[in-house]
Amino acid sequence: MKRSILRSIGIKVLVFVVSLLILSAAVFCVARLAPGDPLVSYYGDRVEKMSPQERAWAEDKLGLNDPLTVQYVRWLERAVQGDFGISYQYKMPVTEVIAQRMGNTLLLGGVGLLLIFGGALLLGSFCAWQEDRWPDRLLCRAGTLLSCIPEFWLSLLLILVFAMGIRWLPSSGAYSIGGEGNVGDRLVHLILPLTVVVLSHLWYYAYLVRNRLLEEVRADYVLLARVKGLPRRAVLFRHCLRSAMPTYLSILAISIPHVLGGTYIVETVFSYPGLGTLSYESARYQDYNLLMVLCLLSGAVVMLCNLAAQAINERIDPRIRGERSGMEQEVRTP
Amino acid sequence: MTDGFQMVGIRPVPPPERGRPAPWYRGKPVAAAVVLAVIVLGCLCSELLMTKDPTYLDLANCNVAPNREFLFGTDAMGRDLFSMIWYGGRVSLLIGILATAISTVLAIVFGAASGMASVWLDTLLMRGTEILLSIPGLLLVLLLQALLGPANVWTLSWVIGLTSWTAMAKVVRTEVRQLRTSDYVVAARCMGGGFFYLLRKHLTPNFLSSILFMVVMNIRSAMVAESTLSFLGMGLPLEVISWGSMLSLAEKALMTRAWWIIVIPGAFLIATLLSITSLGNCLRKQANRKARNL
Repeated sequence: MKRSILRSIGIKVLVFVVSLLILSAAVFCVARLAPGDPLVSYYGDRVEKMSPQERAWAEDKLGLNDPLTVQYVRWLERAVQGDFGISYQYKMPVTEVIAQRMGNTLLLGGVGLLLIFGGALLLGSFCAWQEDRWPDRLLCRAGTLLSCIPEFWLSLLLILVFAMGIRWLPSSGAYSIGGEGNVGDRLVHLILPLTVVVLSHLWYYAYLVRNRLLEEVRADYVLLARVKGLPRRAVLFRHCLRSAMPTYLSILAISIPHVLGGTYIVETVFSYPGLGTLSYESARYQDYNLLMVLCLLSGAVVMLCNLAAQAINERIDPRIRGERSGMEQEVRTP
Repeated sequence: MTDGFQMVGIRPVPPPERGRPAPWYRGKPVAAAVVLAVIVLGCLCSELLMTKDPTYLDLANCNVAPNREFLFGTDAMGRDLFSMIWYGGRVSLLIGILATAISTVLAIVFGAASGMASVWLDTLLMRGTEILLSIPGLLLVLLLQALLGPANVWTLSWVIGLTSWTAMAKVVRTEVRQLRTSDYVVAARCMGGGFFYLLRKHLTPNFLSSILFMVVMNIRSAMVAESTLSFLGMGLPLEVISWGSMLSLAEKALMTRAWWIIVIPGAFLIATLLSITSLGNCLRKQANRKARNL
């Protein structure tokens, strides 16, 4: 029993590593095949004044002249030792550039996810509680409308109203100049981006919770609990919500990358110094080393979240674990 | 002989008290259909509606607020927003439909191929899509644009189509996995039916209803993608008028507080998206109802 668990964990780790390798190779080729001059991001406008000799020397220095495979193997060798190269644009080790920005994105995405998670549960159970009465209908209408609004447009609208119109909130950045250590300043700058992140995803999950709960309240055990004399609220929150929870958690785990991807657009609109603006810049200006690490990072997050969702599902429903062997049998029959 | 039974015929029963018959529009998204029809028709017949030439740069009238002459105002380059809305809507709708067509065909072919394939090939293909999903969409878009040349309606549709088919392919694969063991599919294969024959005759009609909702939603997300990309400056250039490229002037409009440049194209976009969503939800309800009756 124990050995089989170890084995399945081993297989998962192996698949994870191999997937990351394939991803890195793919991104490596893709980034270098895309046109654009990486020298521009390193030297800026000076590139245009360079003589061919200088260009050749610069390319040689950055190792851009070798064949693609050589470049990739060299990158891999260094990456295994923890050296991901320097960012052409910032002239600093990539890891440092990312470390500087990571906190901002984690703050935005993490707080956003928590609010989405809690808000969707509350909103969803409220709607299920009020099924087909006017609060539920109103919320469903409003939610559908909200989910149709593109993130960037919602950001623009909020800037227009709250930053330009009534001037209550700042429209860009993560802090005012000189206010880096000031917690209140950070929070004020976080309000608008956070609102967009939460509002643009909230309804999707709230609707999910609502529909799952509506299925649940039609089950027999609810009738039993009611007959036993439990009040409606107790049944909904203690029984129905609990059994709806695992599905909700696993779907949430799968969609964490989706929410984080949404923060990328929001960050760009609000010029919020996070990983989103960083990957946008690095892709635009061919900052290869930075781009590689950012892609691998987001790829790893996606795969880890998938694994987490799978683990949650296996815990709820042990039949899933046996699915693979069952599928193979099913395929061999015809 | 008249005693005993007497034939009296059927006992007169008053006709069952019926309430007013349910109006024909009950449960149908009439408002959404009307709004969508108005927008689509308006865009198709934009020549009749336009009051100005949408491409004309009237430099004497930049950033004019909505008034009697310029119904929706003008943008930073002096173009008339009212004319641009109808003229540019065509491009936005076209991209939505083209991109969806591309991604749907890809999803059906790829999903069905993966569903019919042997286990290891299936695993490989599905792992491949997972890896593809984990590449940041932004990078994929940049690369595709680089390969396909400068953005125009056609290449942008391909870019959006090529980056949005994976979710649908997964659904198709799951459906095909279930269908492939059914007797009629096995029989058709035994008689030598090829992959595309099976796909056309037996598979697609069976899983079409389950992906129809996703297809409609794909139109919506393709239109969102077009506007977002154009807004970020990676989509259509300013000269090609669409709702997205109109919104790419929004950051400048923020500086001059020209709210109409941001609000009006956005409102049209959202009205369209909302109507598409309502139609899609209606479709999903119908699909579900059928499934339950079977």
